Parts: sequence; structure tokens; C-alpha cells
Amino acid sequence: MPSLPTDQPVTPSRTGHFPVLEPLLIAKGVTKRFGGVAALSDGCFTLRAGEVHAIMGENGAGKSTLGKILAGVFPADSGQMLLDGKPFTPANPQASQASGVAMIFQELDLFPHLSVAENMVIANRAFDEGLLARRDRMRAFIQPHLQAVGFQGEFHQPVGELSIGDQQLIAIARALSMEARILVMDESTSALTEDAVQVLFSVIRNLKAMGVSIIYVSHKMDEIFAICDHVTVLRDGATVGDAKTSETDMARLIQLMVGREVDRSAQAVSHAIAKEVLRLEDVSSASVRDVDFSLHAGEVLGIAGLVGAGRSEIGRILFGLDPLLAGKMTLADAPYAPRSVREAKRRGVGLVPEDRKGMGLMMQMSVRENSSLSVLHSLVSAWPFSVIQTRREAEEDRLVSERTRLKSADPRAPVHHLSGGNQQKVLLGRWLQVNPDVLFLDDPTRGVDVGAKEDIYRLVEDAAEAGKGVLMVSSELPELLRCCDRILVMNHGRQVGEVDARATSQEAIMQLAAAPRPS
Amino acid sequence: MMIIAAIVTRGVYLQPGNLTDILRTIAPVAIMAMGMTFVILTAGIDLSVGSILALGSVGSAALVMQVLPGMPIIVAVPIAILAALLVGGLCGAVQGALIARLDIQPFIITLAGFTGFRGLAKLVTDNRKIQLNTDGAQELAAWLSQKEVIIGILIIVCIVSYCLLRFTVFGRYVRAVGDNERASHYAGLPVRRMKLAVYSLSGMLAGLAGLLVCARNRTGDANFGIMTELEAIAMVVIGGTSLAGGRGSMSGTILGALILGTVTNVLGLNNVDSNQQSILMAVIIILAVALQKTRQSI
Repeated sequence: MPSLPTDQPVTPSRTGHFPVLEPLLIAKGVTKRFGGVAALSDGCFTLRAGEVHAIMGENGAGKSTLGKILAGVFPADSGQMLLDGKPFTPANPQASQASGVAMIFQELDLFPHLSVAENMVIANRAFDEGLLARRDRMRAFIQPHLQAVGFQGEFHQPVGELSIGDQQLIAIARALSMEARILVMDESTSALTEDAVQVLFSVIRNLKAMGVSIIYVSHKMDEIFAICDHVTVLRDGATVGDAKTSETDMARLIQLMVGREVDRSAQAVSHAIAKEVLRLEDVSSASVRDVDFSLHAGEVLGIAGLVGAGRSEIGRILFGLDPLLAGKMTLADAPYAPRSVREAKRRGVGLVPEDRKGMGLMMQMSVRENSSLSVLHSLVSAWPFSVIQTRREAEEDRLVSERTRLKSADPRAPVHHLSGGNQQKVLLGRWLQVNPDVLFLDDPTRGVDVGAKEDIYRLVEDAAEAGKGVLMVSSELPELLRCCDRILVMNHGRQVGEVDARATSQEAIMQLAAAPRPS
Repeated sequence: MMIIAAIVTRGVYLQPGNLTDILRTIAPVAIMAMGMTFVILTAGIDLSVGSILALGSVGSAALVMQVLPGMPIIVAVPIAILAALLVGGLCGAVQGALIARLDIQPFIITLAGFTGFRGLAKLVTDNRKIQLNTDGAQELAAWLSQKEVIIGILIIVCIVSYCLLRFTVFGRYVRAVGDNERASHYAGLPVRRMKLAVYSLSGMLAGLAGLLVCARNRTGDANFGIMTELEAIAMVVIGGTSLAGGRGSMSGTILGALILGTVTNVLGLNNVDSNQQSILMAVIIILAVALQKTRQSI
């Protein structure tokens, strides 16, 4: 161990003041470039001992980059960092761990086939006996830390069998066992269920009481106001402000993040609804039952429900990915039972999947190639050579980028260079070019920054106005209330309600969605 | 590289005769490497091309001996080429259909093809070579093994493959499927048909390579083309195409073929022992790929 006092989790100040006021970790003018792109141009951050401090900003604002630099995941290009008033330039995560700074990763870096106990002690600086240590010694070492995070499972259970929430607790306990004084948590709740989020929050409060400081990287407003004392806001790679959460509010933070006022009052515009385009009657597949609704041209129909309630599965039936087991579907007055995506697409049904990296985009291909992919066959010269008419392709791409307000410097750049919001716009643009009559959007704003969300809402509006029937899945109820005419509520694979978006409330929907499993 | 090659061979390398020799030597494997590039771009692999080459060579030999005698060259050559493409394409199509329909890893299916097709070639020839020993057959083989013809075929395959990958919907789809197969499915691309197509194409080109080898040796032999599948893969990889799929180019493969051909040629001219040649080849493969890695990470 270096010279840090390991028996005291919080460094007391020399003047004898209450340590909470003392800056523990300071970063000034930190910069980081990846290739030619500046991810961080002026990162400033001051962490006081014993506080939970949020770093927030839109996707691509540089908040994760700043968090990772503080945790030593990669070094800064320039700038100054002070820990306990001394220069802090960790070369790697091990070095920062030695100084008491640890990162809890979004993708947890645990070994799924090793047990809880083994994961706790492996390569642990504070436990040099390693994996071959006697059981009781291992147990004695890990128990207090697992207790501190409230882990209640078995120590010999393989970590891969635990829920994501429990795995995260193990990761935190592991950091604590290495005498971490500062934990960096990057979007820690993104993969957690609502229950697990509450558990994590109580652990965070507990850690704070123990004197551990937490840097909480997130873009979720409600979480920041729920558990953070202080918030630092980044925009376009630079720190634009910081405040105590008790002295600020959501509107002010959003304004800082996007640099402009966002109108959050726009709600549930009534659409001019025309004839029915799609009807499902008592439809069942392997994962949903009794889905029954009709969708009209010019209408936005929301689908609410908890994760795993069967929201996406409705899309899978419509898109020919899951076979129809019972019931009847009618598309534009004709029977509809697609057996493949290609058939669904031909019949005028489009689907924007929820996982844009895994199911949506070709990350190595360019923005334009991704955009045109689904309509490429119509942008060719005569058969048999099917030569792509690049000029028409570029023109179509330019038109759709204008509609989606895609901010991309170069349409020939690989799509993985884009931020999450812009990637989502590329994917939406792909289906806007296909121009289907029914468009199923599966959580189109997930992991997307506030500014891009507004653009996506506007695209949904545009699609409805152009006479499409839009189905929109979302985890955010305000979003559904704002964009939709009606909202279906799913619960445990069943449709449990259909409500008028203008006459309902978040609470009413939540009650339907979270009700105990219907018999 | 050409300059170094010219220096270490004291200029012999640059003589037109030597350069065209290189092209003629690499032609069969380079042609297969073109097909392999499409396969690898879809994140697949085709281990069967060496065996399809053997089958193509005995098939061509049988055809030339049995059917074509007496026909004028101008008729016989196109028929021989079409037949070779057809035989190889059939082999590839069978594999492509299995890969696409049964959703089995291409490595396994083409490994089966690797043993199966050579076995088939041995079975139909009863382990004997088929000599092209009639006058007509000799004449046809001689025509097909002229430098101009072989290099001409090589260049045509290069241009067609390059254009197919670079300018057509087919090429774009190949890259899309290799980049993200699941997303290709969601985008409504004909993923299975693409797989069927790339393995068929790879098989066709291997069949064509079989015809060229057969003509050159005046023989059809089930033992031709052993290890050539790996040489073809080496050309593709040296050319910068990623085995993970989605990233690569036909020009890279052409360059990879020229590099391998040049190195073999230069070492041969300097009478370097063939064992040492193999070891040097290993170094070149690793160096070429490592160089591309460092270039990407910048």
C-alpha cells in the first residue's frame, strides 16, 4: 500500500473542520481525444469527501469519459487532477485502486463461472492468499464487505447465476474490500429492475454514511435528484455548471445540458385519425396472449408495461419473427400472418428494434450505407448487375437526414463514431425511407439524449401526420402520454388495458402495468 | 516491396517474363481468394475450395477427354469453362444451402466439404489420374494454359469481383450480413440467399481454378490443390479482410495475392530452401496483419 492511511476511510482535514467540506478529488481542464474526436475538451470536477456527486450530460457530452479518467481507466491527454491535494495521475485502474478510487462498470467485470467468494478475492490487493486460501479465512475477509452492501445470497454460488443487481453489489463489495474511498458508477441502473434500483440506492446511502464518496455518472434526472448531493453538468465535452441538487431543479439542469429551453408541456396532440390500417383480434404467440387492438392511419398507439411484459413481443409477431399461434391479424383489410421479416416489409410493416447495436446498425459501415440499406434494391440500375446509383443513394440519404435532423459531419464516416441519439436517427431514417404503412418503434428513445429525444418525438408526429399507423413502445410514461393517442398496457405477456392518453395519468397506467400476475 | 524484390533478384524480378510468370503461378489460388473474400466478408470461411479445385480438375479432364474432342477451340473453351463453373458452383451451393438452412457454422460444413469433395474426386477417378493424351485434348489444354489466357482470366475475375463488391447491391449486402447478421435480418435483407450466393460463388471460382490447373498439367488429378484453401485464406487475410466479417476489400485481396506470389518468386529465384520459405511466409502473414492492426488503432 502506498502512504494513504488505510484504517481511515475519510481523510480528516488538517484544520479539524467537518471533512464533508474538504475537496477530496479535483479535476481541472481535463482533455481527452479519441482519434481525431475530442471526447472531453474541458472537464472540471470537484468531489468533496462523503458526497454523492452526479456527472450528467447528454449522450456524447463526455460524462463517461470524465468518469473513466477519474477512475484511471485511461489517462487524460492534459489537465490537472488532485487527490487529497496531491497530483493524481493514475496510469491504469490498478493504480487508481491503490489510491482508493474504484470504478463499477456498466458491463460488470466479474468472472461468471467463479463463485461469489472467489470473485471477491481474486486479484485482490488486500487479500494476498488468493483463490487457494482456506474457506474460513476467505469468508472472514469477504463477509463484512458483502454485509455492507446488503448481499444476502450464498457465497459459493457462481456469480453468473445471480441477477444483474446482485452482481453489481458484488462488484461494489469487491471495491470496498480494497479500501476504496471513491467509487465511480457509470450508468449503474441501466440494466436494473425497479426493485434492484431501490436496493442500489439504499446501498449508496449506506456507503455515504460510511464515508465513501461516490461519483455517479448518469443521465437519469429522477435518480440524480433521489440520491445525489451535488451535480456537475457537461455539455459537448466541457463542464458547463455545477450545483447542489437541493438548490436546483430539473428544468435548470436540462437547460444546462442542452443549452436551450425544452418545452416539456407539449402533451398528447390529437391526431386526425383516418381509416383502420391494422387490427389484431385475440392474438397469441409463444410469449404473449390475448392481444386485441386496432390501429388507424394517422394514429400513435403506445405500448406500456414493465420490461419483459411482452411489449417487444407484439412487434415480433407483426414483423414475422414470432409465429402467430392463435387469433387473427388484418392489415389494410386483408388477412395478415407474415412468416418472415421480408414478407412483413413487403406488406408495409416496419420495425425499429430496441437494441440498435445488436439488431439495428452495421457498426463498421458508414452512416449513409446504414441509412439506405433497406431501400437499396430500389436505388439500382437495370438488372442483372444491380449497380447502386450512388448519386440517388446520397440524395435520398440527404433528404432523410434533414427530416431526422441528423447531425453528422460526414455521411461516409462509420456509424459507430456517432452518439447514441444520432445512431438512433440513422436507424429511424432507414425505415422512414422504406415508408411503411405501419411502423413499430421499440423504445426509440432508449439511451438517447434529451435533444435527440425531442427530434424523435417530432418524427413520430410527422409519421402520424403523413398517415402512418405508429406503434410505440416506451419505458418512459411521460413520453407515451406526450406522443400517443391511446396506450395499451401489457402485464406478464397479456394485454391488461387500453387507455386514452389524454384522459389517463402515469399512476393509472403504472397500476395496470405493475399489478400482480393476472390469473 | 517491388523495389526490394528487384534488388534481391538483381533485376530478374522486373523482367516482363518473370512478372507474368508470377501472375500465371498465382492465378488459380488468387481466383479462389476472390471467392473467399466474399465468404469471409460475411463472417464465414470456406475450407472446401482446395477439394473443389481437385474435383473441378478431374471433372474438366473427363469432360475434355469424353465430350469435347473434335470440337473447335472456340466452342470447346466456353463449354469447358461453363462446366467447371457449374461443377464448382454446385458443390458450393450445396454447402451454402446447408449453412443457411441448418444454421450450422460454415467452418464445420466446409470442413465436411473439404474431405467430402476430395473423396468424391478420388471415387469417380478410382484414384487414377486422367491424362489429357488425345490430340484434341492436348490442343485445348495448350490453348487454356497460354500465359495470355490464364492472366486474362485472372484479370477478368479480379475486375468482376471488384465491381461486384464495390458497386452492386450484392456487395453491399455481403458486407452488411458480415457486419451484423441479426441487424441484416431486421433490415429485411435476404440473409439466407446471400449465404447461398457467396458459397456458390466461391465454389464456382474454385471449379474454374480446377480447370486451369488441369489444363496446365494436362492432367486431372484428385490430389491437386492440397492446402490451397489455406493459401487463399492467407491472401485474403494479408489483404486486410477481417475474419470477423464486414470489413475488407477486393483490392486488398489482389494485393495479398501479389505479395504472396512475389515473395515465393523471389525466394525461388534465390534458391531459398522450401522449408525456410514456409517459415518466412508465416512471418509475412503475421507482419501484414499486425501492420494493419496498428494502422487501424490510430
